[in-house]
Amino acid sequence: MRVLEAMDVTKDYEEGHERVAVLHGVSLALERGEIVALEGPSGSGKTTLLSILGCILTASSGRVVVDGEPVDPANRSRLPEIRRRSIGFVFQQFNLFPSLTAVENVEYALNVKGAKGAAARSEAERVLDAVGLSDRRDFLPRDLSGGQKQRIAIARALAGRAPILLADEPTANLDSHIGAQILEMFRSLAKKENRALFIVTHDPKVRSISDRVLQIRDGRVAAGESETVGAALAAARGRGQAPPLPMTRSSAAL
Amino acid sequence: MVDLATKSLLHDRLRFLITVSGVAFAVTLVFVQVGLFLGLLDNASVTIEHISADLWVTSRNTPNVDFAHTFPETAVQRVRSVPGVAAADNLIVWFMTVNLPSGAQEGTLAYALSDFRRWNIPWNVESGDVDDLKRGQYLFLDGSAVKRYGPFAVGEYREILGQRMKIIGRTRDALSFTTTPISFLDFDRAQKLSPDLLKNRTTYVLVKLAPGADAAAVKAEIARRLPYNDVYTKKEWAARSRRYWVQSTGIGLNMYITVFLGCLVGIVVVAQTLYTSTMEHIKEFGTVKAIGGGNLDIYRILGKQATIAGVAGFVLGALMAFALRPAIAKIDLKLIITPVFAAIVFAGSVVMCLAAAMISFRKVASIDPALVFRA
Ligand SMILES: Nc1ncnc2c1ncn2[C@@H]1O[C@H](COP(=O)(O)OP(=O)(O)O)[C@@H](O)[C@H]1O
Ligand SMILES: [Mg+2]
Repeated sequence: MRVLEAMDVTKDYEEGHERVAVLHGVSLALERGEIVALEGPSGSGKTTLLSILGCILTASSGRVVVDGEPVDPANRSRLPEIRRRSIGFVFQQFNLFPSLTAVENVEYALNVKGAKGAAARSEAERVLDAVGLSDRRDFLPRDLSGGQKQRIAIARALAGRAPILLADEPTANLDSHIGAQILEMFRSLAKKENRALFIVTHDPKVRSISDRVLQIRDGRVAAGESETVGAALAAARGRGQAPPLPMTRSSAAL
Repeated sequence: MVDLATKSLLHDRLRFLITVSGVAFAVTLVFVQVGLFLGLLDNASVTIEHISADLWVTSRNTPNVDFAHTFPETAVQRVRSVPGVAAADNLIVWFMTVNLPSGAQEGTLAYALSDFRRWNIPWNVESGDVDDLKRGQYLFLDGSAVKRYGPFAVGEYREILGQRMKIIGRTRDALSFTTTPISFLDFDRAQKLSPDLLKNRTTYVLVKLAPGADAAAVKAEIARRLPYNDVYTKKEWAARSRRYWVQSTGIGLNMYITVFLGCLVGIVVVAQTLYTSTMEHIKEFGTVKAIGGGNLDIYRILGKQATIAGVAGFVLGALMAFALRPAIAKIDLKLIITPVFAAIVFAGSVVMCLAAAMISFRKVASIDPALVFRA
């Protein structure tokens, strides 16, 4: 089932009197339970595209359909509602609330999405348990490692059962082997709960957990040569085999 | 519900302390300034409040109870004949010179009546019997005179308008706005002390209404019969006496300016700390928006934080004002904090904090959630 779709999306930024075109007609689609990586050098428009898919920015032209709802760029007040219902974000900077404990960070996001009281608390505990941080539930972010913070951020994105998870460089602020572990965990959770996961990155480790890899260069998306690798990988995973290419330290250690 | 507003506010203890101190400072300033003002003003009408008269007949255009003018004492007869009047008596309030043993000259504001008990004055007698005032060259003196005259004791003599008078009683809390000490003496004695000005004359007629009498009707009838006098209800007369000092001296303006400055300082401190705090938490607010929160969610956070700062600041400021009370009493000033006044200051501090938060509201409304992706 198609859960996210972009058709011929362009984005221009106004910079003073100039208009800078960042995306030149991007089309892509995600199925439920599918994991897609978008690779590209810095400045190629990855974050811009992710923001448009996540209804934080709107496209200058083209069509975006999120969870069955066509996004109307003219109706900006509708965007928060789509974000609440359909999107879970994971950021490079984690963006946890420093004054809230691990479990409160997750629970607060649920509160914003409309879940209250005991229901929110038990859902927060469920996802915290899923990312293996039940024993850190009452820790403040400052007392957690980078990897633990990102796991809480993933728990926050998972909480509330949004069908689409969007991650912007989720491993960029983590040590390489921690990043690999977290990607593995992210993959298995997204798969288990049948969420679509879209990761934009220039970290090559992301390929190893992706079903498909797209390349973005100068605002244009193409299925990269590595897609075949990713597909092979996914096929291998689908058959329950080890990945054919040991691309990360953790998988190399298997 | 996770209370992000409170947790985030208390997360930065130092800033919270600064914000609360800013509010507390403004609250203390307002309490002390307005409280002192009310205390001073209270002196301007304290005798009117305590004398059990329902109506006061004064000479035309008397500005306040201390600045009395005379009129013929026979007016009291005409007042007594008005239906609805239960009792009416002459009262002289007169400034008299006192010669102190040191040779210095001071003043006293004499309240002279024939029957002090009927009018419930003096209301706070420390020693002596007011009925004895009739029996000779006697007076009661208020304890507040110590400040102006030096220590005195019952049984001592003081020279008033050139005549030796014996102090036979001491009172408390009988104060005048000008801080001139109040004394009490017999009505006839007062007239004899200053015969050229007071012979056959009075400065006020005190009126007690019969039970069930219509105050307005009686007042109008007295005014009709005494066209060269003014008649006030107790409340009007107290207000007129107070208003005189508010308008004729700088204290009214002074108070308004201080209250204004206090509020301004409070608003600036709170607005400044809230705004800095908002700027520092801007990425968190961006995150709230990214996970689906709207401006309303963020306004609620800021509003709650401002309210907490306002309430905490009010409590701290009120405690400081109450702590200052004994020190203020030591210099013979009163700090009057009534429940209504306290409630107004409370509402004021919360409104002040919310107004200060408005500046942050505008900033927050323009937050671009896309900033969550930036380093
Ligand atoms: N708000 C903005 N205003 C103007 N230019 C922007 C803005 N955001 C991004 N850009 C520009 O758009 C291009 C793509 O940025 P971005 O999407 O962040 O790329 P990436 O995430 O791949 O590094 C960059 O050249 C960047 O300078
Ligand atoms: Mg980026």
